[in-house]
Amino acid sequence: MPVMSYKSFKLALAGIVLLAVAGCDKVNETPAANAGGDTKPAATGGDTTTAANRPASTGEGNTATGDTIPIGIVASMSGPQQPWGVDCVNGAKLAVDEFNKAGGINGKKVILFPMDDASKADQGKSAVEKLIGDNKVLAIIGEVASGITLQMAPTCQAKGVPDVAVGATRDEITDIGNEIFRVCYTDALQGPVMAQFAYKDLGLRKVAMMTDKTQPYSTGLSKSFAAAFTKLGGTIVKEEFYETGQTQFTAQLTNLQKLNPEGVFASGYFPEVGPMVKQAADDGMKIPFFGGDGWDTNNIAQTGGKAIIGDYYCNHYTNDEKSPEVQNFLTKWTAAYNSKPATAMGALGYDATAVVLNGLKNAKGLNSKDLRDAIDNTVDFKGVTGSITLKGHHGDPPKRALVVQVQPQGTIFKAAIDPSQLTN
Amino acid sequence: MGSAASPGRFWLTRLVSAVLGIGGCFLIQTLSQHSLGDYQQRLVFLAALYVTLSVSLNLINGITGQFSIGHAAFYQIGAYSAGYFSKIYIHDQGHNPPALPWLIGVTIVGAGCAAIAGFVVGLPSLRLRGDYLAIVTLGFGEIVRITVQNTDALGGSYALQDIPKIHPVWLVWLLALICVAVSRNLVKTARGLTFLAVREDEIASQAMGVDVTRVKVTAFVLGAAFAGAAGSLFAHYEGSILPTNFTMDVSFIILTMVVLGGTGSITGSVISALFLFYLPEYLRGLKASDGQALTVSSTLIIGGLLSIGIVTGLVKKIMEDQRGTPQSRGLIYVGLVAAGVVFVPILNLVLSTIKPLAEKHIPTDQLRMVIFAVALIVIMLLRPQGLLGHHEFSWSMFGGSNRGKPEVAT
Amino acid sequence: MLAGLDFRTLPEQVVNGLFLGAIYALIALGYTMVYGVLKLINFAHGEVYMLGAYFALFTSYALGFGPNSTTTQSSVWNLLLMLLVSMVACAIIGVIIERLAYRPMRKSSRISALITAIGVSLFLQYCGALFLPNSPPPSISENVNPYRGSTRLTLVPASSQLQKLANDAKPAAKQADDAYAAYMAAHPKADEFSLPPDGQTLRDAKLEADRKAQDAQSQADTSAVSITIRYGELIIFMTSMVLMALLTYLVMFTKRGRAMRAVSHDFDSAALMGVNVDNIITFTFIVGSALAGAGAMMQATFKGTTMTTFFGLLPGVKAFVAAVLGGIGNIPGAVLGGLLMGVAETLVTWAGYSRWSDAVAFVILIAVLLLRPGGLLGSSKVEKV
Repeated sequence: MPVMSYKSFKLALAGIVLLAVAGCDKVNETPAANAGGDTKPAATGGDTTTAANRPASTGEGNTATGDTIPIGIVASMSGPQQPWGVDCVNGAKLAVDEFNKAGGINGKKVILFPMDDASKADQGKSAVEKLIGDNKVLAIIGEVASGITLQMAPTCQAKGVPDVAVGATRDEITDIGNEIFRVCYTDALQGPVMAQFAYKDLGLRKVAMMTDKTQPYSTGLSKSFAAAFTKLGGTIVKEEFYETGQTQFTAQLTNLQKLNPEGVFASGYFPEVGPMVKQAADDGMKIPFFGGDGWDTNNIAQTGGKAIIGDYYCNHYTNDEKSPEVQNFLTKWTAAYNSKPATAMGALGYDATAVVLNGLKNAKGLNSKDLRDAIDNTVDFKGVTGSITLKGHHGDPPKRALVVQVQPQGTIFKAAIDPSQLTN
Repeated sequence: MGSAASPGRFWLTRLVSAVLGIGGCFLIQTLSQHSLGDYQQRLVFLAALYVTLSVSLNLINGITGQFSIGHAAFYQIGAYSAGYFSKIYIHDQGHNPPALPWLIGVTIVGAGCAAIAGFVVGLPSLRLRGDYLAIVTLGFGEIVRITVQNTDALGGSYALQDIPKIHPVWLVWLLALICVAVSRNLVKTARGLTFLAVREDEIASQAMGVDVTRVKVTAFVLGAAFAGAAGSLFAHYEGSILPTNFTMDVSFIILTMVVLGGTGSITGSVISALFLFYLPEYLRGLKASDGQALTVSSTLIIGGLLSIGIVTGLVKKIMEDQRGTPQSRGLIYVGLVAAGVVFVPILNLVLSTIKPLAEKHIPTDQLRMVIFAVALIVIMLLRPQGLLGHHEFSWSMFGGSNRGKPEVAT
Repeated sequence: MLAGLDFRTLPEQVVNGLFLGAIYALIALGYTMVYGVLKLINFAHGEVYMLGAYFALFTSYALGFGPNSTTTQSSVWNLLLMLLVSMVACAIIGVIIERLAYRPMRKSSRISALITAIGVSLFLQYCGALFLPNSPPPSISENVNPYRGSTRLTLVPASSQLQKLANDAKPAAKQADDAYAAYMAAHPKADEFSLPPDGQTLRDAKLEADRKAQDAQSQADTSAVSITIRYGELIIFMTSMVLMALLTYLVMFTKRGRAMRAVSHDFDSAALMGVNVDNIITFTFIVGSALAGAGAMMQATFKGTTMTTFFGLLPGVKAFVAAVLGGIGNIPGAVLGGLLMGVAETLVTWAGYSRWSDAVAFVILIAVLLLRPGGLLGSSKVEKV
């Protein structure tokens, strides 16, 4: 083995790199050739793009050619977010079955392609690519989580396939482009709704916050709540953080207790909120906890125990609501799955699918472009979670938010707050 | 490359390989763009990333024998540093540099940042051995993830968005190729032997005059730099990156790729990276003919698992006993596998008598990771040294002239 | 930086940390014992912990505390039964894992065994998700636990002046409460969030008076130095200590324990000396897994943990860190490491950096390992992967 070979191998390496750089001129002339249309360093949304001028897609989209109409859904059917994902897919299936039973579109049946993302964002993107490329879906439904939606939505935007997000409440999602819609309200509504409810109705002035630092949903909601609550004149005495999967909150609660808040805004998901509320009660904290739609589960009363009874959270709908849409939905769900939906994602998944199917009915042709326009023109669609209007709202339907109270047998409806009723 | 090779021939070989390599990368790009859909193109892209990650970890774990289980940290540092620079320069400040040189430049920066991190992590390896080093690398990975999560400028727990999308397929394959070439050449040089010496016996190699410190830190720096470069390409591919892209389980998957391929074997790392990356994606395609999610009754799943378990156990037993000729053993293995396949429907029938189990149907989507885990356990049980052990792919494997390097003792 | 710290809550936070650390220590013992005899990081240990919580859940269902039951009467016997079932079931699971996955790997390299452990861990997580209830994530009914609530141990009493002020504010609050209650009683149909003006005035007055009284009381309370002892946590702590004492007795003063230490010290020599190594390893898995089962049952029962099949990951990793911190393979080290981790995490939160609490655990770990490469109580010797 010659001793010089190490040095020469370094030289060879430098040669390779040089060659690589030298070869770039050719590639640079046609940068778009490198990928399916989304190569140009275009602004993909964010704070600089206002909702009013969402970038338009240049993608071609898909066209239904056979005697079926393919629709895709991306959800976490495995992994830590499975409870939400499975509900969402079940809701979507319900809507599709119903639509097909009613005759589909001129006899053409809709096929739903479910695709798992294992609760991971990059897998969500792979799933979307597969749905659009291999299954030729006209539209995509999903995701439940904001983080996963963020990584998969740019692909839908680039390919010109509309995406109707199910539970992604993070504000920035729909700024990605004109193909991205959602059927849930946004954190920009949810935070202020709970702030107003806490300030006006519960009469609270000093509130503490518990935020799940690992969840973008939770950090975003806390931010919007804090801004709205401070604007109303209240004070946030302290924000404490925990992580998903944590089971013991005594250190944070001890800190909060000394600051004497009148209530605690817990913006995380129910698996952590339940034990937190129980432990606060053990400590002798007799103040109300309240939170966002992450609390929603049909056994919140068991998760949070006696302590959570009487607490409030913001939700998309409640099984307790007497409106015909909700009761119809519950009957259908029970008939199909022999139980009640475990989370609000069942109803939202159903609504997201129903909005797409409704769009199909109104679309001029069976292709992604017409479908997008039809979805964008949705006006006053009567969904389970309330009326959905997407026309002129850049993908964010102005929806009512319900404030519900936890009761031993489930939740009861307390107030429905429209965006227009917010004072700021 | 015997020592008799003249310098001229030496350089010619190098030049030809470099040209062939780069040509091959462009070939992959052209082929994938012309014959594959966007989804498959994505897989081709990501596969190269995983090959890079796996081979670069092999450099630390396999070749140098340092137990690192926090490789995602370097990947993340590369992704966030390169992504951040690109976002600031191109998106925020509105510059419009030529895409490719910028990408290469920023990737080198990302690799540099990761290399610095690799240096920092490499230093404790002087004092720490084995599992203690492992936990330090794991801890370092978590610290990086939490730091990013708590830094609002990097998008916090949400995401670093607005990274310009530049992603030539050939470049990521070239990176993988360079990574493989560097590892291979390292092992073949005199200096590379010191790496192997440190792996085999640290104290003895120190006694023989090997600068152990330098070897270990070099391994960490090199491995980290390649992971960082991969991270940079990933960031510019996705356009937005999240802290959850770089969790502990990513590190575990990369580690699994290295061990499954055979610790120390570069070829093994490449093969198992491709295998483990494609397996879950392949299983994603398992759908009924009408595209609907396939459901499997839970009795079939339990039956299958039991059958796999029993067959694996028996095969393992026969392997260890080493009785009979290889041919007869091979026949027995085939027979066992066949029996296992037959056994599944029988078990299924037996189990179907249990009502609640028979009525439970599970969509195949939920089975993907179960199959992944079972494959992992079975391969490890039957071939604990990994697919290729310490061996490398070489033409001499097929009975060619034996002019390759002498096999390093394993 | 010190200015923002509230030293009055320091003793309480230290106690919180010890209680938190007790659970870490229990799980860490399983890691450390298995490591001691096999030199294997048993990554599936967190999943054994997860299964332990599920076993406790099923036992509570069998005892009549199902999701829809209204049983409220419980006794210490129920808890003991759940603890026993969890420990025994986890021990069985541990032995099965050892037999099927680890024993065949004993002759292989340690890193291969580690990958097998990761495989087992993934398998239990994802296969468990198919068959165990996890949507919505269940939790053990709090009714099964007769020991709820807490008591306060006062170290320095509250300032009498502030307490007097607080007492003075109380009658006014009571009066306002009564007035509002009377109004609500007189108007049974009134909705508390949309009252007519007169009712609204009363409600505002009540809220204002309550706030004043609460503020005054809080001022008095924070002037005291006290420790809140939650009964549930006390039980966890005591049980952990009893189990650890039993373990110490087992390892230090019984024949089997001596054999265990021998195997841990030198695997081959112990076998040559006539120690039945297989038996000892099985025994180690039984003890380690049973401790994890006990930890899981107590955490799930007294802290109301919500279960998915993925929830073992985080406590598993934390306990692993604790084990390494104390010196992996060293039993008192695992306890020390667990308690130290608990206290460290809690103190970081106390200092107002709860965002960083889990990162700090790792920072401490790295710092300790750099100073003492073998962990706090461990010995450092050359190892190879």
